[in-house]
Amino acid sequence: MNTVMSRPKFLSFRIYEKYKKIVVVFILIVLLFVFGATTLPNFLSVEQVFMTIKLASFTALFALCQMIVIAGGGSGLDLSVGYTATITAVLTASIMDGKNEPLLLAVLIALALGVMIGLANGVLTSYLKLPPLVVTLAMADILQGIVNAYVAGKAITGRPSPILVTIAAKFTGKFPNILFVLILVTSITMIILNKTKWGQILFGVGANERTAYLSGINVKKVRCITFTVSGVLSSLMGLLLLGNMGIAFKDMGSNYVLPSIAAVVIGGVSLAGGEGNYLGVILGAIFLQTLTNLLIAFGLGDAGKWLGFGIILFAMLSAYASNRRSR
Amino acid sequence: MNSVIVLEAKGIKKHFGGVVALSNGNLQCRKGRITGLLGANGSGKSTLSKIIAGVYRADGGEIRYNGKVVHYRNPHEARRDGIALVFQNLSLVPDLTVWQNIVLGVEKNRGLFLDNQSAKELSRKILQQLLPDLDINRKVHELSPGEMQIVEIAKAISENPQLLILDEPTAALEQTQAKNLFNYMRSLAQQGVAMIFTSHRLWEVMEICDDVTIFRNGEDVATIDFEKEGKDPEKIVSYITGEVKKSTIQVQRREISDEVLLKVNITGKDKVLKDVSFELRKGEILGIGGLSGQGQQELIYALSGSYPGVRCDVELNGRKLRLIRPADAIQNGILLVPGDRQREGLSLEHSIYSNMIFPKLGLRGHPLFIPETRYCQECEQIARLLSIKAPGIDVPVNTLSGGNQQKVVVGKWLSFDIKVLLLADPAKGVDVGAKRDLYEYIVNLAKEKKIGVILYASDNEELIQYTDRLLIMYEGRIVATLTGADINDDMITATSMRVR
Amino acid sequence: MNEVSKTGNVFYTFKGLLLKPEVSSFLIFIIMFVITATLQESFFTIKSIVRNINAFTPLILLAMGQAVVIVAGGLDLSSGAALSLFTCVLTTVMKRNDPVTGIYAILVTFAVAILVGMVNGVGIGYLRIPPVIVTFATSYMWLGIALFLRPTPGGESVDWFRAFYKIDAVAGAPAVLKTIGTFIPPALVLLIIGCLLWFIISKTRTGRYIYAVGSNIESAYVSGIDTARTQMLACIINSVFIFLAALFFVGQNQSGDARMGGPLTLKSIAAVVVGGISLTGGRGSVYFALLGALTLSFVNKIIFFANIPNAYQTLVSGIIIIVAIAGPAYVMFSKPKQ
Repeated sequence: MNTVMSRPKFLSFRIYEKYKKIVVVFILIVLLFVFGATTLPNFLSVEQVFMTIKLASFTALFALCQMIVIAGGGSGLDLSVGYTATITAVLTASIMDGKNEPLLLAVLIALALGVMIGLANGVLTSYLKLPPLVVTLAMADILQGIVNAYVAGKAITGRPSPILVTIAAKFTGKFPNILFVLILVTSITMIILNKTKWGQILFGVGANERTAYLSGINVKKVRCITFTVSGVLSSLMGLLLLGNMGIAFKDMGSNYVLPSIAAVVIGGVSLAGGEGNYLGVILGAIFLQTLTNLLIAFGLGDAGKWLGFGIILFAMLSAYASNRRSR
Repeated sequence: MNSVIVLEAKGIKKHFGGVVALSNGNLQCRKGRITGLLGANGSGKSTLSKIIAGVYRADGGEIRYNGKVVHYRNPHEARRDGIALVFQNLSLVPDLTVWQNIVLGVEKNRGLFLDNQSAKELSRKILQQLLPDLDINRKVHELSPGEMQIVEIAKAISENPQLLILDEPTAALEQTQAKNLFNYMRSLAQQGVAMIFTSHRLWEVMEICDDVTIFRNGEDVATIDFEKEGKDPEKIVSYITGEVKKSTIQVQRREISDEVLLKVNITGKDKVLKDVSFELRKGEILGIGGLSGQGQQELIYALSGSYPGVRCDVELNGRKLRLIRPADAIQNGILLVPGDRQREGLSLEHSIYSNMIFPKLGLRGHPLFIPETRYCQECEQIARLLSIKAPGIDVPVNTLSGGNQQKVVVGKWLSFDIKVLLLADPAKGVDVGAKRDLYEYIVNLAKEKKIGVILYASDNEELIQYTDRLLIMYEGRIVATLTGADINDDMITATSMRVR
Repeated sequence: MNEVSKTGNVFYTFKGLLLKPEVSSFLIFIIMFVITATLQESFFTIKSIVRNINAFTPLILLAMGQAVVIVAGGLDLSSGAALSLFTCVLTTVMKRNDPVTGIYAILVTFAVAILVGMVNGVGIGYLRIPPVIVTFATSYMWLGIALFLRPTPGGESVDWFRAFYKIDAVAGAPAVLKTIGTFIPPALVLLIIGCLLWFIISKTRTGRYIYAVGSNIESAYVSGIDTARTQMLACIINSVFIFLAALFFVGQNQSGDARMGGPLTLKSIAAVVVGGISLTGGRGSVYFALLGALTLSFVNKIIFFANIPNAYQTLVSGIIIIVAIAGPAYVMFSKPKQ
């Protein structure tokens, strides 16, 4: 028997498969860029590329919420990320009111909101065993309702703190600042998922619930925590969205929900759970953004975007489903 | 009196992965006769009847039905030809009624719509002889397991098959239900229906069958015509176990200390596992045997804290514990190697390393950051110890053979402070070499570390070779305890079937 | 041990009776009905009844279609988007001044509906993608196509199409029809068509197989049922119900809107659950989805009459949905597993 005596580089999953999927996404992105560059002027300019990356970063961060929930298995998905962000933005906008001092308070409020919403989602799905898609969809509805009620009659006042604007909207040289946030978040995520027990427990629960249970893991608690984390992260995203847009408005977050899920699928992360390579997801987000740019450039706008996303998601689901089909 | 041959199976071969289920299966079914199939677990009798019914495809050999060679791709094709299999509660839809289930898949129309009238009449007629008091309008999920089994039988009969295959139909039935079934089978035989009947209950086979074919190790070894040769249970048992003694290693029965490691007391109102009490001594390998499905697996799971249907109270080295959830058992060193390694013991897409370190992460007080270097070394050590054949510990376990996968499952626990090791059929589907490695290691572990091992194996050979004491279970309880020289095939089979 | 199973006695106790989902949903319906009737003075006038029927019909139709899919073991998150799509197709094919285009529009939209059902059906039945995810994806496909046809709400409708809403709005309609139309609103006719459709299907093999597949797909498969085709047919039936709702909508509003259907999706699922139908499939009567839709609509009316500001209505309905779904789940937990 020959065991490789060196330390394994990636401690988790299908190493070759993982690389394979990332390469696929990368090639897809390159294809899109080539197509864009040959048919449109200015497509390959540095500004364009970084603008794409900036916009994709927001999607990628939302996709992180999804990835965590999905990794925990059990058909986990969080459809409430959009409105969690929206409600945080709406509620904290007037608190910050364009100043830096209340920022800390705003962050605390965002955290509190995120925990509440995430916990509610987590308890309803893990302990009451309600289907996650329906629960988080209903939660989104409730949050939308609260936003509507809050907003009724009055305009949403408030502006984000300048610090937030700097982080979310501004550039340092050619690089969008949000990219640095993304890099920071990515590093932390990769460390937690790959090097800490939390990450490995999460993947174990998602890969095989029964095995995890027999190994002494409290599966329900783990899944509940994933929803809570998703809630907190999307809530913080609300602050960033606010910083980027400058004002809060009713539907701020809902355009990010489908892309957040699509980015995960395109990034090659299995919807069944048990794995999570964030790099692939980021590439998936970049792919979607590039596609959006192309569609807008060709005048296909919103319609094309949603149709395209839907078709791609459907296609990738079919492709992965045929691998799983047992009959 | 030799009637027409309805079905003849010759030289049937079947393997699942690396395991050979049938090497040479032969069977003859005649019109109006009930043929019994007997054999130990894994002898191939169930596999043969499933192949005849179209559930599996044979890898070799030929089946002639009414003289013609047939290859069925699924049970529905076989059913259309007149070969019906009575499933074990696998084909009933819980939310439909009894009569709807009986005609499921073969409903007749009256005009444009379903002909419910005739369906109900047919159901009533069939059930009249089997279970006359059953209200055919009840939903199937409301029925008891015995009633469900009868509905399955009715469903199989509803199409007037020529050959009816009953695979352990009496497992879920009460005494009176079984008697009704036998009467009905006799009337079917008189109408010319041929039947195959498998059961673990020897007395049933002797009561209802006209002849019996005995399987052992994947082939048929004897056929006894009850009319001509009479019924001799001891002779049948000897065919099942095999008179030719294989060159078995003279099993040295070891001296076990008297120190009690674990006292077990299981109580509860579970359907499968009833009240069980026993003791386990230090360094002892205690086997749990008996016919399959008598509660052995459930007992093992209960001891691991993962069978909520019963109350499991134990005393480990004098300390009283109640095992409610797996963490309770694991924290105290009672560790489970589960029965279905792929569904319960491993995360298939994860690496050997990931799988092996996983249970450690759930222990109280485990550091946040995984000490990679140390764990890698430990993992490689364990892999070498167990002779796991793999290019490295970072390969996903679904690339390994069954035996090596099982070694990974066992390897998970080797860095723990093991007090009791629970094994639920650890060598199922494992090739001979890996099986030997595995057991050697476990025996050494027991001897040197003085841990207790509770072993359930569906293959009696393993129980005979490796256990110090053997508990035989029947219908959820312990009915016999075998020690020393009594641990042999003959005694095991006999006590399992309640012959002795 | 006795041979007759013991579970037969459960429903002879009062508590047992309440636990039966159909009974409790019917009770809730009656309660909501009574409260609404008391709050609205003019409740029992013909005008008010007609107005209510018109308001409730879209949800009822969507709920019934959704029920069929759910009973078959699936779920359709794209029904609202499909509804929007059908309204857009209708109003794109129709040209205001050419009455014949109305017929074309109906035929084309019906074909689109079948196609929509087939796409969902292939995803759920043949590809075996989890229904929630695949219909989530398709909902965006329908949205995209709808936006292509109608980037902004609008489009054209022929005059006689109004007959799907109010007969006397159609100039030149025979007087007889107009009088009948005041008592029996077209919406009611559409509802009856829907109920008839399900009535016929439920008496056929497909109807039974839908329940079998939803109850236990493996058993159904082993019994020789084509489970993929059955689930696809369920999706197609759902599409037809949505198609009927689209007819009503365009009849009422004379325009198509790519986003109007969105909120109805979740409400249709809630209506199914309130109607006592299990989300896991195989159980429950599709007609009870009608009841559930009525109950939800009455609750909305009660909120309205209780003078809760408009803005809070989405919030309250969202909470109701969670309660509606969580309630039965909680009840299921107090029953012993089988």
